[in-house]
Amino acid sequence: MSRWLSALALTLISATTALAQEADTAPHKTLSEEATKHVMVKVVDDFIRPGYRDFAGKSAMLTDAMASLCAAPSEKTYATAQSAFADAATRWAQIEIVRVGPVLDAYRFERILFYPDRKGTGLRQVQAVIASADEGATSPAGLAQKSVAVQGLGALEFVLYGTGKDVLLSEKNSFRCRYGLSIAGNVQRIATELTQAWDEPDGIQQDWKNPGKDSAVFRDGHEGVTEALGILVHSAEAARDQRIETFYKGEANNTFPRQALFWRSKLTFPMLAGNLEGIHRLLDASGFRDLLAPDQQPIIGSIDFVLKSLTKVTNDVNPDVEVAVADEKERQKLDFLLMNSRDLILRLNDGLGGGLGLGAGFSFSDGD
Amino acid sequence: MVRTGDIDRRQFMRAAGIGFLAALSPERLYALERAEAVFAAGFRSPDGAYGIATTTADGKIIDRIALPARAHGLAYCRVTGRGVAFARRPGTFAMIFDPKGLEQPVLIHAPEGRHYYGHGYFSPDGRLLYASENDFDGNRGMIGLYDATNGFARIGEFEAAGIGTHDMTVSDDGRHLIVANGGIETHPDFGRTKLNLDRMQPSLAILEAATGHVVERHALPPALSQLSTRHLDVDEGGRIWFACQYEGARSDLPPLAGSFALGQDLRFVSLPDETTQRLGNYVGAIAVNRKERLVGLTSPKVGAAVILDARTGKVLAEQAVPDAAGVASAPDGLAVSSYRGTLAGTRSPLAWDQHLVHLA
Repeated sequence: MSRWLSALALTLISATTALAQEADTAPHKTLSEEATKHVMVKVVDDFIRPGYRDFAGKSAMLTDAMASLCAAPSEKTYATAQSAFADAATRWAQIEIVRVGPVLDAYRFERILFYPDRKGTGLRQVQAVIASADEGATSPAGLAQKSVAVQGLGALEFVLYGTGKDVLLSEKNSFRCRYGLSIAGNVQRIATELTQAWDEPDGIQQDWKNPGKDSAVFRDGHEGVTEALGILVHSAEAARDQRIETFYKGEANNTFPRQALFWRSKLTFPMLAGNLEGIHRLLDASGFRDLLAPDQQPIIGSIDFVLKSLTKVTNDVNPDVEVAVADEKERQKLDFLLMNSRDLILRLNDGLGGGLGLGAGFSFSDGD
Repeated sequence: MVRTGDIDRRQFMRAAGIGFLAALSPERLYALERAEAVFAAGFRSPDGAYGIATTTADGKIIDRIALPARAHGLAYCRVTGRGVAFARRPGTFAMIFDPKGLEQPVLIHAPEGRHYYGHGYFSPDGRLLYASENDFDGNRGMIGLYDATNGFARIGEFEAAGIGTHDMTVSDDGRHLIVANGGIETHPDFGRTKLNLDRMQPSLAILEAATGHVVERHALPPALSQLSTRHLDVDEGGRIWFACQYEGARSDLPPLAGSFALGQDLRFVSLPDETTQRLGNYVGAIAVNRKERLVGLTSPKVGAAVILDARTGKVLAEQAVPDAAGVASAPDGLAVSSYRGTLAGTRSPLAWDQHLVHLA
């Protein structure tokens, strides 16, 4: 017994000594429970709940627009449906950065948007639904029983912009249109479920806003802030990995423009801009700035600058992805996005994370 | 050329290959040879670069090897003296390295349709390297087989009898592969997002090493379906120790570690509630010191290291270690690393990653 105790002393206690020494020279900022709770309230009330509410609202408008298109096909109702699709999709891009909580239950995340679809499996399933005029797909309840790939915004983009779309204009209540309407209704229903889940006073918002022993999610404010910061870091990673590198990795001769999200509707870059706007909004709404010491405030300014630069260039890229990857000047913009998205990740991970005293960049990325 | 988070093979080979041996000065080589024990762990340096470092028994860094991305688990081959570091999921590289710096590192990649889960183990005779892998389109865990006598060519694979496969190890006699299937579905298309937290299927499995045949499989009961079985080690009697990460309510007090042997049911360790809370319902790493019959658990969530008696499962000691990362058997007791750069009495200007391996 005494032998292992001495061994323990050699390892653990000496490690503690080293930590104590570090604490003397580089103290980590201690986040007060009150301050962290304040941040969590803002994250929930000023970002997550409004985000899902906006998405649900735009989804409802999309459903209405699809219903109008099906009932009275015309250039005008078609354009309105396309516009409503863009609005709903880009609102989703803002709140999709939240990859925790109820959105991960019951495959909601993938049902709203199944992407990437590297092997085209989802596309083939959508095409099969249309080709076979599968009536089971024309009601949200029936659609919910089918593959996640045929249920969401990716499928609806093909309906509105893909091969065979002309039938939307030429035929009243066509199968294709009714399938599109069903998709919109399905997305609206999921968006409403998410809104309700987060709006329920005794539900998840209670746990997020009140870290502590009674919270089912966070034991203390530190854990809550870690999760919120994780949303920022992981969404910045996802924006780079899943919205740019799926079609362009910095190699002119190795591009995949048709792997880009929503290349048909030319919404690839608006979706990326939506992700960036979501990150920006969460950063602003959360009040992370208030947790930083005065000498660390520039961290927020630098992240703000990078986000604005990324958004500006994203909005400036040629919306035709084929052109964007083929034209040298456009590729330079994509290179800028790759390079600066990496910079954004580091600033969030190390700069903001370090400023908040959340370890060296590992502790808010789950250890696995 | 824009540098991205992805692996560029040529860049990597430059980074990993050049100067590994050359950079090892005679003094440092001397220090390495004289070291009573040597650890290795993944790290992240302040400039954001990733690598593996070897250290002396008291945690002083001996050498570093550059990596293109974050590593996770490591393993050591007692026969050949080589180590291996696996990419963190959903990474696709693993690097075999010689801690003495006498051989160039070997880089291997997961095949198309697979990525590494971050762990693996050598066969006792040193001829094979096993790696936990994800068949992500098939949503099934796999064990990849690599020929250590032939440049680590991939020569086959077994089904891991579960999803979300994470850690794995090999019985001392080499007959069985022991696999922790965390039960969590992930897909590289969705990054590190956990896709099935409401329908997890954690399990522990023992496979025939020669055939991949499932010898036994322990699915966790429904009440513990959100208890992800993640990490493993084996004690001197062949008993398998496992550590878990709980995905259920944070206010719950789930069992976080346990043990079993071939032919036996799982037996969870009954940790005091305070210990479970200190571990934050999450054990990030586990290690057994066979000689002293100790089991070490670490958790970065709250920041703690806990030592159990391998004979009784009772807690012998626990200590707050902020950002605790890896734990490994040491010549005396157990060594603990942290994201803050501490390891066995030394603080280095880097962040140690989640796992630590004893190179002995």
